[in-house]
Amino acid sequence: MKGYTIDLDLEKCISCGACMVACMDQKDIHPENGQKPFRTVFDLETNRDGITAYSHLSLACMHCVDAPCITACPSACIRKDEETNFTIFDTANCIGCHSCAMACPFGIPSFGEDGKMEKCDGCYVRVHHGMKPACVKACPVEALRLVELEGDKTILPERSLQESSKNILDQQV
Amino acid sequence: MRYGIVGFGTAGYHGVKEIRKYDPTGTIHVYGDTGMAPYNPMLTTYYAAGKLSYEGMFPFGTLEEMEKKYGFSYEKRPVKRVCAKERSIETDQGSAVYDKILIATGARAVDPAIQGLSAEDRFLMRTIFDGERLRKRVETGQVKYAVVIGASMVGIKVAELLNQQGIGTCLVDLADQIFPLSAYPDVAREIEGRVERQRVTLHFSTTIDHMERRDEGQTAVLTNGEEVPADIVVLCIGTRANVELMADAVEVKRGIVVNRRMETSAPGIYAAGDCCEGNDLESGQTQLIGLWANANHQGMTAGANMAGHFQEFQGNILHNITHFMNMDFIGFGDNRISGEILEHGDLQNGLYIRLVCQGGRIVGANILDHYRISGIIKNYMLRLFAGDRQEVPDYQRGMLVKAGIPETFMDKIAREING
Ligand SMILES: Cc1cc2nc3c(=O)[nH]c(=O)nc-3n(C[C@H](O)[C@H](O)[C@H](O)COP(=O)(O)OP(=O)(O)OC[C@H]3O[C@@H](n4cnc5c(N)ncnc54)[C@H](O)[C@@H]3O)c2cc1C
Repeated sequence: MKGYTIDLDLEKCISCGACMVACMDQKDIHPENGQKPFRTVFDLETNRDGITAYSHLSLACMHCVDAPCITACPSACIRKDEETNFTIFDTANCIGCHSCAMACPFGIPSFGEDGKMEKCDGCYVRVHHGMKPACVKACPVEALRLVELEGDKTILPERSLQESSKNILDQQV
Repeated sequence: MRYGIVGFGTAGYHGVKEIRKYDPTGTIHVYGDTGMAPYNPMLTTYYAAGKLSYEGMFPFGTLEEMEKKYGFSYEKRPVKRVCAKERSIETDQGSAVYDKILIATGARAVDPAIQGLSAEDRFLMRTIFDGERLRKRVETGQVKYAVVIGASMVGIKVAELLNQQGIGTCLVDLADQIFPLSAYPDVAREIEGRVERQRVTLHFSTTIDHMERRDEGQTAVLTNGEEVPADIVVLCIGTRANVELMADAVEVKRGIVVNRRMETSAPGIYAAGDCCEGNDLESGQTQLIGLWANANHQGMTAGANMAGHFQEFQGNILHNITHFMNMDFIGFGDNRISGEILEHGDLQNGLYIRLVCQGGRIVGANILDHYRISGIIKNYMLRLFAGDRQEVPDYQRGMLVKAGIPETFMDKIAREING
């Protein structure tokens, strides 16, 4: 199987939240019990030098090829799924030290009631079975995509969240 | 190609892994003094607290598994000397010559003599054996009082675990505050208040002078004359890099000096992990940065270069996240440098951040109780140190807003940084 990641077309996202709801459904997340959704959706209005700009975003684990959280975890709970490249985890030995959170330049890892790390795992089991991750499937405007790491670019580089965040990731240790 | 690895902690392990990635056939000979797979010293307090199994301290599996996977041989023998000129490794069984040598001997806990303190009641916290010893002693149920010397990240974790066992715990430091190397004074005061409310007693600007045996039990007498009951004393006063085996011709300061490829001053000799000082992005000097992820990056970089693959590790800044006693303290950079202070939040109410800015960079940061923003802030600091002045992009900005950082605060940072 080829390596994948989940990318966002920054031009297409409308912050509708369908991806977040689909993720909560897929992963059985109940915010009313204090659980945090794995996907964060927001819109921002910024004004720089008199120019107003709007951005619509949906952010979850970026499944970085060279993921800083993997190197940072003291218990080696986080690893790459060899089939998909998704950054997956087994938190049996997670000590809740939050080192992965400090390593993540996207602010992704969060911790559940049991003190253990949780985050998006790319729905890697679905992908193993030829399905799309729940968020990708639910996106009504096809902004979220399951993309091959080595494949043709289905999202133009200047509109791709993965591409535009590369230099941020490169400088993280 | 013949590779010799001295010391098999995480830095040595990552070195081996990376050598194998680029050189599938070279001979790798690992020297270790434990006879074990690499364990994580950082997990020892969790093991001592009963929160982690013994196996849990070995993040990468067993020695047999890794010997098979990466094709190396392991010799349980402490290395006495590394001769840089001859590229030889010497043990009590003789010496062997290699093409490339990686020194990954880590660090050891500082262990000063204390008058009246018996070996049996004296504890350190660095090795797996230290963790086991403390756990066993606590499990006897005979420890009523403990004194922990050193209010550092290690000291506080030890104090936390003893306190959780119902042991009357006292934390002592020669500095006048908790986390003296990373916390700003008023952040330290807040943390101290919380620690005290959880029944750990604090004594600052003093240290242990000697122990006395009294009818009612043992007492630690502090240099300021105060006396505290102490069945055991745990010394957490820092570490020293294990560099004594470097016999000649390699530049050593507080650690073995390395460049961005983890090369020492002697050709063919590399160093990685807690035994070495690499580039500190903040000061531009070399510095010991004794942290897990740093040791991993350094080990990987050394291994790649040893196997002929050019790779650089740009360096790091001092950084720490400590989750203890129901709080998170995060410290970045050098807390001694002053500058323009930007603050948001309230020390008592769930989210506090202080950034100290100088010369278009964030030279230091403290965050209390919000781990989730820590990676983004660290990333911004690293970028500024690297000369990348691009503002926090919207996807990071949005995450900060969601975490409770107002946009007005971010605009303030941008103005301070970019003028
Ligand atoms: C209690 C505690 C808490 C910590 N908390 C954190 C934290 O929160 N975050 C963080 O990032 N880091 C933390 N650290 C630090 C982190 O554990 C280290 O930075 C990291 O493990 C260093 O790895 P290393 O491979 O360089 O050294 P080590 O793990 O020390 O490995 C070196 C190995 O070399 C062996 N050796 C030494 N001399 C010789 C010789 N002459 N011959 C043969 N073998 C030899 C040693 O026995 C050892 O096995 C903590 C450490 C401790 C002790």
